[in-house]
Amino acid sequence: MGKLIDENGIRLDGRKLDELRPVKIEVGVIKNADGSAYIEFGQNKIAAAVYGPREAHPKHISLSDKAIIRCRYHMSPFSTEERKPPQPTRREIEISLVLRRAMECAIFLEEYPRSIIDVYVEVLQSDGGSRCASITAVSAALADSGISMRDLIVGCAVGKADDQIILDLSDKEDKEGQCDMPVAYMPNLDKITLLQFDGVFTEEEFKKAIDLAIVGNKKVYEILKKALTEKYFKTGEEK
Amino acid sequence: MSLKKSPIIENLRKAQMLDLLSKQKRVDGRAFNEYRPITIKLNPIQKANGSAEVSIGNTRVIAGVKIETGEPFPDTPDQGLLVVNAEFLPLSSPLIEPGPPDEESIEVSRVVDRGIRESQMVDLKALVIESGKLVNCIFVDVDILNMDGNLFDAAFLAAILSIATARFDKKIMKEDGTEETQKIPLPVRLIPVSVTSITIGDNIILDPTEEENSVLDSRMTIAFDEQGRIRAGQKGGSIGFSVEQLFKIVDISKAKAEEILLMIKKMIENA
Amino acid sequence: MTVVRSKVMPGDFIGDVPPGPLPFNTYRIGNKLYSLKVGLVEVEDKEVKFIPLSGPYIPRIDDFVVGTVIDLNAFTWDVDINSLYMAHLPAQDVFGRNFSSISNSLNEQFRVGDMMVAKIVTYDRTRDPLLTIREPGLGKVVRGEPVKLSSSKIPRLIGKKGSMAKIIESKTKTKLTIGQNGVIIVQGPPEGIILAIKAIRLIEEKAHVASLTNMINELLSKESV
Repeated sequence: MGKLIDENGIRLDGRKLDELRPVKIEVGVIKNADGSAYIEFGQNKIAAAVYGPREAHPKHISLSDKAIIRCRYHMSPFSTEERKPPQPTRREIEISLVLRRAMECAIFLEEYPRSIIDVYVEVLQSDGGSRCASITAVSAALADSGISMRDLIVGCAVGKADDQIILDLSDKEDKEGQCDMPVAYMPNLDKITLLQFDGVFTEEEFKKAIDLAIVGNKKVYEILKKALTEKYFKTGEEK
Repeated sequence: MSLKKSPIIENLRKAQMLDLLSKQKRVDGRAFNEYRPITIKLNPIQKANGSAEVSIGNTRVIAGVKIETGEPFPDTPDQGLLVVNAEFLPLSSPLIEPGPPDEESIEVSRVVDRGIRESQMVDLKALVIESGKLVNCIFVDVDILNMDGNLFDAAFLAAILSIATARFDKKIMKEDGTEETQKIPLPVRLIPVSVTSITIGDNIILDPTEEENSVLDSRMTIAFDEQGRIRAGQKGGSIGFSVEQLFKIVDISKAKAEEILLMIKKMIENA
Repeated sequence: MTVVRSKVMPGDFIGDVPPGPLPFNTYRIGNKLYSLKVGLVEVEDKEVKFIPLSGPYIPRIDDFVVGTVIDLNAFTWDVDINSLYMAHLPAQDVFGRNFSSISNSLNEQFRVGDMMVAKIVTYDRTRDPLLTIREPGLGKVVRGEPVKLSSSKIPRLIGKKGSMAKIIESKTKTKLTIGQNGVIIVQGPPEGIILAIKAIRLIEEKAHVASLTNMINELLSKESV
């Protein structure tokens, strides 16, 4: 039918329209950090670390009644098809901002006045949907650090290719498809905390895409919970 | 990335370390010339032309190689490019702030770069596609993921392993006149090894942890080639060492380099 | 009396809001109680107790803490107590009210890098915690090995009425000075210190396991000093 999806509804990498790529999460991978996690989301390989809450330097950037979040999303030079120079690009700065906003919805900032929470994300290999994978890794790292959060946050993108709504776009689908919409979501509170899109959707398609995004996000949530259970609740007595 | 302040190691801890050293012991029970466990994972980043993840104890780094084409430097028209860059990611330590690299991270970059370049690990002349106009450029980027001392050796090891196992596409003209794309390795001549040590009084200690670095007098990183010849070196720390001590450092480092070289070669063979 | 112990993560629903003040590490929406952290929740007869498994140390007045001096000026020592705020020990606490910055040198009492056992005297959300070392048992740490443990697991190390700490001390022949802020000083013979640290590491890993006390006893008997 089209070049990204065949007549049986199978995508180039063999997935169905509503199928997630394989996701693997490991919690507590960076020993020096207060909390950390590593995620593989398809071919994405991303490390996240949290330092804080801690004293702000210089002191005047801190707020008297709540914590500040500082987020740095960065892609390593070898993470993309063509080498990317190490200096932060405008794209990375924008993604740092939307990730920070997503976290602000969840973290109880009032519990840590006059302090700063530093969140660092490093993309070691990039493959479409890296910001959604990043927010998931960050959420795991924050939970690992024990910073109070209203809910965990997960991320999963949806989009459109060959006029069909699809879940979790690969790099190629992202570049050559008709629409790309990353969505981050707090599952218990049922709230969307990150939403961006570009392309063209009818209103009906948009609603269908959001519904599919929630379904995808709930799947990622289960995987995130398993990863946290693996680190925190294993007793060594299981068979 | 810059280190915003030195780590405060408690005086009690420093006194303990010095007391143990006087009894020829280290805090973690290692011998003076013993390295922490080294873990290596080859090719973790498939999108890169070559990559390696290396842990020495708790110090963890990942290096990736990207091979592109470009213009040679005007003063070396018959050589390809080799650029090594190390980043102290703010991920890796509570003491690092985001920002442009400071002198410590630049030092690691340049020492690793020189060690690889001066040992002539890669035959840069074989990277020329069209003299003076087009050459292959090898970019080696090393990310420090967790800092606990001896970044030099971890970065060096990750860099040389990713170069040695890198593959890139080369268009080959076949005998029947058709073009074929093959995955070929880089023109690697030899495997260099670096060994880092610190002196504390009369004691020479290999592979220092961050804690041990807090009581060092001086630091030395030496890069050796496969014949045990010295190719590059860098002294750190603010206290000098005697000529006698320096020669001892070289002897001990050379012996260690041979050991490490054997391990690396086995790894590359089995890759 | 049923005790329901469950594992929770941020956002997980715990139950109806119990009477009285909200338990730490939980929040409410209307009548429903939710978790703010990864931890264990015990619900006994409508009383909700939350045991977090990680988290920063938030200072509390009267807490005993073990800290390291990281800076000093003419009037105070800045003390790192492994918390989100820097603590301060005023010179007056050490030298008395007639303290004079000219004749009393702070550096002679505590240098940068020295450790101390102190008590938190004042703290509120608008100011950094202030320390005192005037009570018995407080002051400079002159010997022993510093060990860090997540502050949320310190209650497990202490045990009911100090029972866990006492078992470790007697079986390893060491003395444990336990800071609520997650820094512990272990004093004693070298083999005892190594074993005590092993026990502390086991608590770090298995604080959430009900049979932890048995595991500690097993470890200490097997490798007794």
